[in-house]
Amino acid sequence: MDMRITLGGTALVLALALAGCDEKLSDLTGPTPNLEPTFSSIQKEIFDTTDASGRLLCTGCHSNVGRNPSGGLNLLAGASRASLVGVASTGKPGAVRIIPGDPENSYIIHKLEGRSTIAGTRMPRGNGPYLTDGQMLVIKRWISNGAPNN
Amino acid sequence: MVKCRSFVLLFTLLAFGVPASAAEPADAAKPGPNAGLLRLGSPAPPVFPSLRAARQGQAAAPEDDPDLDVDPLQTDFTLITLPTTLRMPRGKSAFRVTHRFTRPLGQGDFGNLLEDFFGIDSGAVIGLEYRVGIMRGAHAGIRRTNDRTIEFFTEYNVLQERDSKPVGLSVLASIDGTNNFRDSYTPGLGVVVSRSLPGAGTVYIEPIWVNNSNPLPSELADDNNTFLLGLGTRLRLRPSVYLVGEIVPRVAGYDPGVNHASLAVEKLLGLHVFQFNFSNGFGTTTGQVARGGTASDDWYLGFSISRKFF
Repeated sequence: MDMRITLGGTALVLALALAGCDEKLSDLTGPTPNLEPTFSSIQKEIFDTTDASGRLLCTGCHSNVGRNPSGGLNLLAGASRASLVGVASTGKPGAVRIIPGDPENSYIIHKLEGRSTIAGTRMPRGNGPYLTDGQMLVIKRWISNGAPNN
Repeated sequence: MVKCRSFVLLFTLLAFGVPASAAEPADAAKPGPNAGLLRLGSPAPPVFPSLRAARQGQAAAPEDDPDLDVDPLQTDFTLITLPTTLRMPRGKSAFRVTHRFTRPLGQGDFGNLLEDFFGIDSGAVIGLEYRVGIMRGAHAGIRRTNDRTIEFFTEYNVLQERDSKPVGLSVLASIDGTNNFRDSYTPGLGVVVSRSLPGAGTVYIEPIWVNNSNPLPSELADDNNTFLLGLGTRLRLRPSVYLVGEIVPRVAGYDPGVNHASLAVEKLLGLHVFQFNFSNGFGTTTGQVARGGTASDDWYLGFSISRKFF
């Protein structure tokens, strides 16, 4: 076979391998462009920060500094993961806040999406803004990955 | 926006990276394997009277390009969505329009279906496609669907079964992008292998790797690529009537929905091919096919019309 065809074909395969097309995560996460599916990122971008859309931080209420944390859920750094992963909800009997690997049955997702089965109100409290679909995908992905302490 | 660094290089390589002479059959001018094919300027057998009539007015000297032959077993550049190994003559072109009506045929009872005239009253995913032969054995084209997906594709025929090779073989590359080729790029690379069934038709097997088939960022996805194994056939029922079928299992990677499948009946009329088809999805670009059909029990009516300009 002609050497030029061989070289052209090889270069073609290499070119495609290098193409590596992918969407940017930051295009999806909107008001928190640095949000990633890791626990440290969720802590920083979601729990601790009011984002650019005006969505309120979580630790305004879910904190044990000078108060009892709302719903018995402390989301301050250093305490939040132990309050979430594998821990039963105090508001809805039988519900578990985060079930590693199972976002659809994790109660935190139900609360953040405002499903009809939740006890109390949708989070963050008030009339929004709520977490965007992209932000929810990131949180679900972290739970799907086993909710690791990363 | 996405990062996609070298798809331009990809197409440059496929389109211009091989010498024209390499694609030409060594015995292009010899009779023999091509004897059963139709050629411009030669008397056509009666199975293609309209083609013959269309060409009767052409007084120019016949071109000695075997790619101008009409292969009655491989009549078009696509099956329903999958490509074939048919070669486009250099400098010639072809156009195709595709419709995939969006009403599931199984929705409601037969009366409802009749009221909607088998789905034709509903909206449709419409595609326009144009391809041109850029050198002997290679062609490139563009396809746009009305969901604002644009696909660029190219195909290079490496082997021709009519040169006494056991199979025909083409390599193909494509890239489609949503939002008028501004977002979510999905490149694909594959081969098309064809084998004719003398007098009956042609069968195809088409392994294709599709990158970035998952519209989510890779950080949120288990798989970002899909490996397809396209299987298809075009069977000659009558001298100019064909039954076409294809199924595209996703054998690895991202595979939402169901595997794309289509069945069609088509009529060859001169340089036109009229096709009525039934599919379990609306996809016509490589990326759309990689994402699969909608549901295994939802089937949709569609049609395609193609026209060769040579």
